[in-house]
Parts: sequence; structure tokens; C-alpha cells
Amino acid sequence: MKTKKMLLLLTVFFSLYSIQQVKSQQTGLQIMQKVYDLPTPKDMQAELTMTLTNKQGEKRVRKLSQFISNDGNMEKKIMFFISPADVKGTSFMNWSYNTEKDDDQWIYLPALKRTKRISSGSKGDYFMGSDFTYDDLGDRHPNEDNHKLLREEILKGKACYVVESTPKASGHMYAKTITWVLKDKSIGLKRDFYDANGKLLKTLEMKKYENINGYLTVLETEMKNVQRNHATVISLANVKVNQGIAGSKFTERSMTMGR
Amino acid sequence: MKKKLFFATVLLVTVFNVQAQDEVRFNGYVRNYTGVLMADFNQFSIVQNTLNLNIEKKTDRIGFKVNPYVYHYADRELEIGLREAFLDLYFDNLDIRVGKQQIIWGKAEGVFITDIISPKDLREFLLPDFEEIRTGVTSFKVNYYKGVHTIEGVWVPVFTPTLMPEAGSIWQPDMIFPIEPTWDYSTSVKDLTLQNSEAFLRYSMMSSAFDLELVGGTFFYDDPAMHLTRQMNPATMQLQNLTVRPDYHRVSMGGGSFSIPLGDLVIRAEGAYYAGRNFQTTSSTAPDATIEKDYLHYMAGIDYTLGGVKLSAQFIQENILNYETGIYNNEIESTMTFLAKKDFLRERLWVELFAYVGLNNSDALIRPKVSYAFADGFDIQTGANLFTGDKGRFGQYNDNDMLYMKLKYSF
Repeated sequence: MKTKKMLLLLTVFFSLYSIQQVKSQQTGLQIMQKVYDLPTPKDMQAELTMTLTNKQGEKRVRKLSQFISNDGNMEKKIMFFISPADVKGTSFMNWSYNTEKDDDQWIYLPALKRTKRISSGSKGDYFMGSDFTYDDLGDRHPNEDNHKLLREEILKGKACYVVESTPKASGHMYAKTITWVLKDKSIGLKRDFYDANGKLLKTLEMKKYENINGYLTVLETEMKNVQRNHATVISLANVKVNQGIAGSKFTERSMTMGR
Repeated sequence: MKKKLFFATVLLVTVFNVQAQDEVRFNGYVRNYTGVLMADFNQFSIVQNTLNLNIEKKTDRIGFKVNPYVYHYADRELEIGLREAFLDLYFDNLDIRVGKQQIIWGKAEGVFITDIISPKDLREFLLPDFEEIRTGVTSFKVNYYKGVHTIEGVWVPVFTPTLMPEAGSIWQPDMIFPIEPTWDYSTSVKDLTLQNSEAFLRYSMMSSAFDLELVGGTFFYDDPAMHLTRQMNPATMQLQNLTVRPDYHRVSMGGGSFSIPLGDLVIRAEGAYYAGRNFQTTSSTAPDATIEKDYLHYMAGIDYTLGGVKLSAQFIQENILNYETGIYNNEIESTMTFLAKKDFLRERLWVELFAYVGLNNSDALIRPKVSYAFADGFDIQTGANLFTGDKGRFGQYNDNDMLYMKLKYSF
């Protein structure tokens, strides 16, 4: 009788322990939602340098300045191209929405002296010949993917969750991504992108980040296309957050003036 | 002499350094453009070396830009000019720009409907780059901004006409005269008077839903009307002498343009109503061979990206109202344009096909080209300008098919 009672107690204890363990373990969706929900400043400005390196080791450098404003419902971004010389004076503006609405995009080409609305339907296009697509540079909502926590592991001496994300909708350019998320800061340290055939296509690594005015800000990232042996490093300098960028920064006047 | 050269060099370097410290920026390009006629590979259609320099400075309140250019030709005189030279004043909601400037309006591409302030340089027909096909015009421009709305007023005190090809140029358009005329240029230059100035107004807005422009102006039409005086031989009653007097006439224009995003598409449209434009006619009721008519010019276009290929098509129509028999132009002239453009090798290689197609005369100008960025800022471009048809705006140049190469270094 005593043995029976003891067995029952042990069973109840281990059951409760297991339930507690499941409760403390976050799901893939929760982890990715935390990454998405990291506080972002209302506005940010920075000088951006993009270094493209091909398989021969040749480097091409693009420089631009960018201003971003986000009121919670809509993100406005404007970029002014500084180099190389043949694109100097070009500006690009993007308004993106928290709804299903497509982004609005305009480009100003100094040779044409005219601001032109352009189609935003090509998010799979590569940005300025880099390894980043327009989609890679934007925020992808966690609800667009199914997430699965694969494991926990140490990467570069830091404890990470490893989460696999698979698009819910068909036709996305990536079959899946696998993200290493820092456990203590909820930011992505590394992400592998797999092509439509399920082969590793690109690897994104965060090289440098800083806390700027209370916001975790990525200052340097590298995207390597392992299939084409091509890499792009994006680094930010002179980052300023919450400086109160005027709404007039995101207008035709600003695009035309180039600042 | 050596001393002078030395001091001039020192002065230039010093001035350049002082200006550089003061954030005066220099950029521009050097370009070689060589073209040959396909009908006769022994004949160059153009051999041109270009220096284009932009000197500019902007502070919070003021700015200036000077854009001198030099065209050196193998078979023509050196051409030095100022494409732009203006001063800027910036206020909180207002900008003022005074001087020679290019002002571009409208949503159409490669077609000039409401884009009527900066005259065109048609000495090489429609072949130059868009930056070069529009000439600067001396003007006072004021822009007032209120949110996404802009009102722009332009006053042009000096009339500048379209630059037409010189006599003997392969780009001289077909002449409609039965005999070789005598030219009378007495009215082709407008006096510098307040009465001869031009005025334009534009309202524009840029929003998430659509972009809009409404424009109007009173100005001299940039292409001349050819007024004819015929002298008949009384004995034979044959035309003995013909005098042609080019003149520019004032017109009024009102119009607008818009572009709307529609999913993956961008729909564009532009239209203008011209009151009092002069046309050439053979009608006996017009003794000097010109007649005044109102005129509509409009366009609808679509932009789309498919598989990384940027595609664009435009349908353009010109419509002479209250048309009369004898007018040299068609009552309705329809044109289409097509563009397909794609980049390869991470924006190092661009392949493009642009075409104008004249629907009335089944003529066309087809412009395939390939550009390769040999290094950052250094482009090698090769292409062709192919004319089809035997009459019409493009067919008249059927003998001018050309292959060309451009080497351009931007700095």
C-alpha cells in the first residue's frame, strides 16, 4: 500500500515538474515575437556604408545617408545617395504600413530632375546590387511564418535560441530561415536563408551592436551569399535616435534638394 | 610666360582648396561618344568629347549651382555653354531659385506634354540623354510648400526657343517647301520686353494614394511657325520665289498629370489643352500658310516589374481641334513608347530596349543599348538607334540608323 502511495506521489510530482518545464520554455513564435517587439525609436538617422565583395575579392563601396521615422502605424524612410559619383544626388523614399497595404515608393534621379513613383511589387529585388533584398531590409511580421524552436546552443560564446521559420504563404523567395536569437537580449545574432530548393543560400551575421539612447541598434551586419561567393557588409555611422525628424524630411522637396 | 602659368596654377589650386574647405562641391563627367551610320560604315554620325561640370554649394539658407559644359567635336566648332547657373534662397516653407535652370514637369517619359518650360535641344533629334535634351531657361522660380502640397510659380523674362538642327545636318526634318526658300529671320528673336515674358503655375501633391500635378501657363510655343510669302512668275504662273519667316507665337496651356499605384502597377496619365497654336497649312484661306488652332496632347502609361524586368508602355495622342483640310499635321497623331530594362551582375550590366512607335505612319525609333559599369563611376555603353518606315516623325530619318559607343567617367 505504501509503495503504491509512493508511486502515485512520484507520478504526480514528475507530471507537475514536466508541466512547469513546458511553461518556462518559450515557443518559437514567442521568441520571434519578442525580437519583433523590441522597442524601436520614433526616428533615426545615420550614414550608411555598403561594401560589396565579389568572389575575386574586388570591393565596391556605396555610401548614403538615411532618415527613418515611425509613428507606430507607418514607417517613412528616405535615403540620399552619396557615392559612387554616377548615383550621387539620387534619392529614394519608402512609406511602409502596418496593414496589408503595399509600400509606397518614389525615386528622384538628378539627371531627370523629376520625382517618380515606382512600383513596390519587387521586394525580392536586390538593393543596389547588394546581397540584401528589399524584403531582407524590412521587418517581417512573425505572423507571416510558422516558427519552431529547434534547440538552444552557444554561438560565439553567447547563449542562443535557434528558431526555424517557414513562410505560411507559398511563393516566398526563401523556403525557410533559421535564426540564432540571443537569449538575454532577444536580438538576432545570425540567420541562415534557404532557397526554394531548400539549399543554404545566404547567411546574415550581426557583427556589431550598441545600446544607443536605450535602443539596441545594429551597427554592422554582413550578408554572405554562399552559393555565389559574394558578400555585403552594411555599417552605420553617426547614428542619432529620437532627434525629432520633421515630417517635411519625407517630401518631394527633400528628395529634390537631396537632403 | 612660365611665371604667369605658374601663378595661375597656384591661384587655381588655392581657390580650389579654399572652395573645397567651404564645402563647394565639384562633380560631373567626362565622356566620349562615337557613332557611325549603319548605311555607310565609313561615315561617323557623331564624334563628340564632353566635359560636364557641376559646381554647387548648399547651406541651410542659400545655395548656388553652376553647370558649365564643353562639347568638342571632330567636325564642328568647340561648344562651351552653361546648362544651368542659378542662386537659391531657402525659407521655412518657401524656396526661391533665380537664374538659368532646367525645370521639368509632368509624368510622361520621353514625351513633352506639360513639360513645356525648358526648351528642347533637338540638334541630334531625340537621341541625347534627357539631361542634355532640355536646355536651361533664365527664370525666377518660387516654390511654396504646405505639407504634401506644393505651389510653384515660374516667371521667364527671356524667351528661349527650341534648338533646331543646322542646315545640312542629317537630323534636319523634312521640309515642306516646293522650292528652296529664302529665309527671313526678322521675327525669330523676341525683344527683351516685359510683354514678351512667360509665366507658369503648377500645383502638385504627393500622397500615399496618388501623385497629382495641375499646370498652366502663357508662353511662346518653342517651335517656330513658318510664315510663307510666295512670289509667282506672272508669265508662267509658277512659283518663282518663296520667303520663309519663322516666328514664335504665344499660346496658353492648361493641363495636369497623375500617377497611381495599383498593386504591382503604376498607372500614369498626362494631358494638356493648348489654346492658339499655329500649324502649317496649304489651305488657300491661309495666305502665309499658317493657321491657328486649339490642340490637345495627352498620354496614358503603365509601369510594371516582371521577373526583375522593368517594363513601361505609354500611349500618346495629339489632336488638332476644329481640324481643316490642308493642315500639314494629321488631325490625330498617335504614338506609343515601350521600355524594357533589366540589370545583371549586381547592377554592373544593364540591358535596355526603348522604342517610339508612330501609329499613323507605321514608323519607329528603336533604341537597344547595353551599359556595363567597368568600375564605380566608369560606364561603357553601346547601342543602336534604328529608324523604320519611310515617312513620319521617325521614318523620315530612315537613312540615319546608327551604332554608337559611349565611355563615361563620373567623378
